[in-house]
Amino acid sequence: MSRSFDTLRHYLDVTGVNIKMAFMTIIEYPANIAGWMISNPLQFIMGFAIIKFVVETFGEINGWDYGQLAFLYGLSVISHALSMIFFVQGWFMGWYVIEGDFDRYLTRPLGVLYQFFFTNINIFGITDLIPGIIVFIYGCVRSGVRASFLFVIQVLIMLIGATLIRGGIYILIGSTSFHTRSAVDFGQYTQEIMDKTTMYPISMYPESMQFILTYLIPIGWVSFYPVSSLLGIDNGISSGMITAFITLAVGILMMSLAGAYFNSGLKKYESAGN
Amino acid sequence: MKKYLFIIKTQIIKSLTYEFNVYGNIIMQTIIMITSAYFWRALYSGRSTVEGVDADNMLTYVIISSALSVLLITNVERRIGRSVEKGTVACDMMKPVSLFWMFFAEDIGSIVALIFQNMLPILLIGSVMIKLPVMADIKDLPLFIVSVIESFLINWLIAALFGMTAFTAVNINALIQVKKHLIRLLSGSIIPIWFFPESVAKVLSSLPFVYIYQLPLSIYIGRGTRAEHMVQMQIQFIWLVILSALFFLVHNIVTRKVMVQGG
Repeated sequence: MSRSFDTLRHYLDVTGVNIKMAFMTIIEYPANIAGWMISNPLQFIMGFAIIKFVVETFGEINGWDYGQLAFLYGLSVISHALSMIFFVQGWFMGWYVIEGDFDRYLTRPLGVLYQFFFTNINIFGITDLIPGIIVFIYGCVRSGVRASFLFVIQVLIMLIGATLIRGGIYILIGSTSFHTRSAVDFGQYTQEIMDKTTMYPISMYPESMQFILTYLIPIGWVSFYPVSSLLGIDNGISSGMITAFITLAVGILMMSLAGAYFNSGLKKYESAGN
Repeated sequence: MKKYLFIIKTQIIKSLTYEFNVYGNIIMQTIIMITSAYFWRALYSGRSTVEGVDADNMLTYVIISSALSVLLITNVERRIGRSVEKGTVACDMMKPVSLFWMFFAEDIGSIVALIFQNMLPILLIGSVMIKLPVMADIKDLPLFIVSVIESFLINWLIAALFGMTAFTAVNINALIQVKKHLIRLLSGSIIPIWFFPESVAKVLSSLPFVYIYQLPLSIYIGRGTRAEHMVQMQIQFIWLVILSALFFLVHNIVTRKVMVQGG
């Protein structure tokens, strides 16, 4: 017991140092900081404006009005931001495999997956987080949500779940590089698919696609199901308090699957070079 | 010229090496294309035409936009960024070829490979699974082709201009993202700007981005009259000239003061 406690403390120590290092590396290139401060908020402000234009032109989307869409969009951006902070490295896993960068991690007495994500923690994800929170608060006000204690708890739990689902998907896609030995950056494509499926209610899509997004690739749980329960919109699958916890469970399941797949891939890893 | 043809050839061979990338890209792009098609179908349910475009036209728009996005992949900005960051730009500049013509040839090479690996499969999948993307008026085909070539050049010049900031900023990953989002959201590649409020649309149509995706696509689906298209193509051409001038100007400034990091 005390041993596992020690291990945990050790990991926390290392995480602290890593975060400090991450802060130091980002100030190396000032132009880069400015770039991220512009690029990420820009992306979400424009994305949000586009939703407004679409609603103005086409009216409600499948019964969701603008305030509810803002709520959905805000939460979706927040979980996106969190997954960018902790799991964005999954997008670049292929390069690590090809260039043999896992050697470094394999020689150290810490979990490889832990090192992979936390030695490269992406502080810039905060620039995604802030526009997400602003839009979310706007959505709360527009759709008249009362922020009770229970509501906040539900939001926090679903955000953890949603972040884990996203991270799990990134790891699953990234880990295919161990088998294919190629570096493909699917990041942009994943992002595009996620945008279409988490920023709009998936009930607008045909049933076959909803089935896939609910049970096979559980993107529906990233935002649609928890948000529709929070807003009291009927989604046909789950409603009430329990939905946030189902989201968390789906997230943990995705993460464990992804971890197992990563570890099985790592056995096939044979470094790079001559 | 022969040197550059050789670079193109090498790049094609390079692109053919990784088979998995090809299938992965096709699968991902197919998912995106089909999701977009359902997206527009859902928006159009119960409406016939919005802003002079019907659902059928929008589906064609989606398919051709996906196919066009393959042509508009550039690597030049990342290529410059990486060679400045790692200091290999010094070696690149010593080669007996012009730096930017080399990058241009490399991008042409990848695109030639991608036309067969990606664009044709996507068009085929789109025709089978969504609908046959027939051109509204086949007489506009020459106009369409010219506008696609110009949009390719505009897109490449914007990428190269962003890439050249690497010579002073060194690390440009973030700037590459800025450029990506600008093009993604303001060019009409996902949502055409004719659905935007008029004042916003007016501002956007004076920027170069809409002439990358939206102009060739509206010619293809036949939105607007030929006279309107001709006017827009003139603006497209003016942007091409402005960006080329800017490119040569900045090119002369930055290549004179190259900083090699860790060299």
